[in-house]
Amino acid sequence: MIQRAFFIFYLACFAVFMFAPLLVMGAAAFNTSRFPTVIPWQGTTLDWFRAMWADAAMWHALWTSAIIAVAVVVVALPIGTAAALVLTSLHARARSFAYAVMVSPLLTPGVVIGIATLILWRQVGVGGGLALIVVAQVSFISCYVMLMVIARLQRFDRTQEEAALGLGASRGMVFRRVLLPFLRPALVAAGGLAVLQSIENYNTTLFVRGFETPLTVFIATKVRTGLTPAVNALALVMIAAAVIGAIIWEIRRRAR
Amino acid sequence: MSHSVELSGIGMTFGTTRAVADVNFKVEPGEFFSILGPSGCGKTTILRMIAGFIHPTEGTVRIGGEDMAGRGPNQRPTAMIFQSLALFPLMPVWENIAFGLEARGVGKAERRKKADDLLRLIALEGYGDRMPGELSGGQRQRVAIARALAVEPGVLLLDEPLSALDLKLRQHMRAELRALQKRTGVTFIYITHDQSEALAMSDRVAVMSAGVLQQVATPRELYENPATPFVARFVGETNAIKGRVTASEGGIVTLDTPMGALRGRGTAQAGQGATLFVRPEALIPGGGTLAAQIDRVDFEGAFALVHGRLPDGSALTASVGSTDLARAPAPGAEASFGFAPEHAVVLADA
Repeated sequence: MIQRAFFIFYLACFAVFMFAPLLVMGAAAFNTSRFPTVIPWQGTTLDWFRAMWADAAMWHALWTSAIIAVAVVVVALPIGTAAALVLTSLHARARSFAYAVMVSPLLTPGVVIGIATLILWRQVGVGGGLALIVVAQVSFISCYVMLMVIARLQRFDRTQEEAALGLGASRGMVFRRVLLPFLRPALVAAGGLAVLQSIENYNTTLFVRGFETPLTVFIATKVRTGLTPAVNALALVMIAAAVIGAIIWEIRRRAR
Repeated sequence: MSHSVELSGIGMTFGTTRAVADVNFKVEPGEFFSILGPSGCGKTTILRMIAGFIHPTEGTVRIGGEDMAGRGPNQRPTAMIFQSLALFPLMPVWENIAFGLEARGVGKAERRKKADDLLRLIALEGYGDRMPGELSGGQRQRVAIARALAVEPGVLLLDEPLSALDLKLRQHMRAELRALQKRTGVTFIYITHDQSEALAMSDRVAVMSAGVLQQVATPRELYENPATPFVARFVGETNAIKGRVTASEGGIVTLDTPMGALRGRGTAQAGQGATLFVRPEALIPGGGTLAAQIDRVDFEGAFALVHGRLPDGSALTASVGSTDLARAPAPGAEASFGFAPEHAVVLADA
């Protein structure tokens, strides 16, 4: 009985910890107050959604983030997949060394990756900007892709590869017809993760952004220059989009 | 079309382990050839070398007279059926079967037609659009065979393909494989550790032990005239009696054993240590030199196995046909057994 009570208490704490900030943030989007807050409640309004809709700079920032995210997926998926394929074909000792090298960007602070990328590319005359943001983000996001593909590859029956070769298939055909369909779920998931990682990244992006302003940088700047609940309105819309997207995904998955 | 397969001086070393040493044999076109041996004897290594998945460290593999050195598995006229079958789980059955044709650039309509033809051959008509996961073990087995046959290989390599099936299905598939081989005329090289499988299906059998080829012969020859003590023990049941050769004349060797002088066919020289092998069914109860204490009698239906112990403590097994059961000794009794020298084989100890 006590155990059960404790469990429910723990669960409640967990939920509050997870969702209370989101609730407050979402509610603040409807408060008339000029600063995002729920106390004091100065009256309910949809003005901030209108303000958000009209904020051209914000839309531009979102657009910039979207372009970056797409580019990151396009670059990180092949790199991460290739790394996973190489890693699983290596022998024990070489594998653990290569694994350590490839995973190290995940363990490196994002700030360091940002500064290091900027310094390196300055040497060859490339300054901060869209391209460099993509490069910097790919350097660690491709690790996530690699880890997810490795997890899938470990369940791959290698004799399928041999069977395909034995039937006269070229290496390319084995990859296209046997391996790629098998990896598809992992690649879809990794692509989704890459988009999220890219859009929410701030600390690495900050150093390599040049004159670009992706969404995270835009919001952070606003915090200093005067944050309005319009940002809350945007956040609420994004959360709603994510939840609806997840529901649609799940419905389609079950339908199959 | 079927091809010959010739292995000369084949050796394979993995690191410091010698998996296969100096293997020579030739498989004739259209032959059903088995490689029989316990697990780890190197038989799968040999099959993989013929398929081209690994390359021998010594010797040459010739298929249809052509040296296969430097040719990968996709450049050889072979097709392999794996122990795990290795069907492609994300492709429907017909695409599985037509995969080899797809690799050869055959158009889709023709691939589908060929797949349907093969499905008819393996009695799975109408199953083309199913996924492999929806089939039973025996059906998957047949799909794997059809997939290999689709490329019209000169040589079909089978790596213990029946080992995952239950006994009844295994016996059924045996007959089916044999019939299929006769019908298609393709050279089959069949790997197994199950001697009854090898004996029942094959034209010839190669017996291997510890990476060394022991004997290549017809099933009957293997059983009647084993060339090495390993073959005598591994193929079928046998009784082994150790001794020393006292005389060897006209193909009949006399062996001095703790049970007295015994005679059998062989070429061992006088003075050599040797072992006499005699099959349970060659032992005749009543009147002979082998006196045994009977431990138990197992009735097996068509025959009964009489298990006894010789004076020197070694085991003796005799089989008595069920129509002769009256002559079988009772458990606990003393009985003597004899055998004709031409039904026993004497092989010099290594």
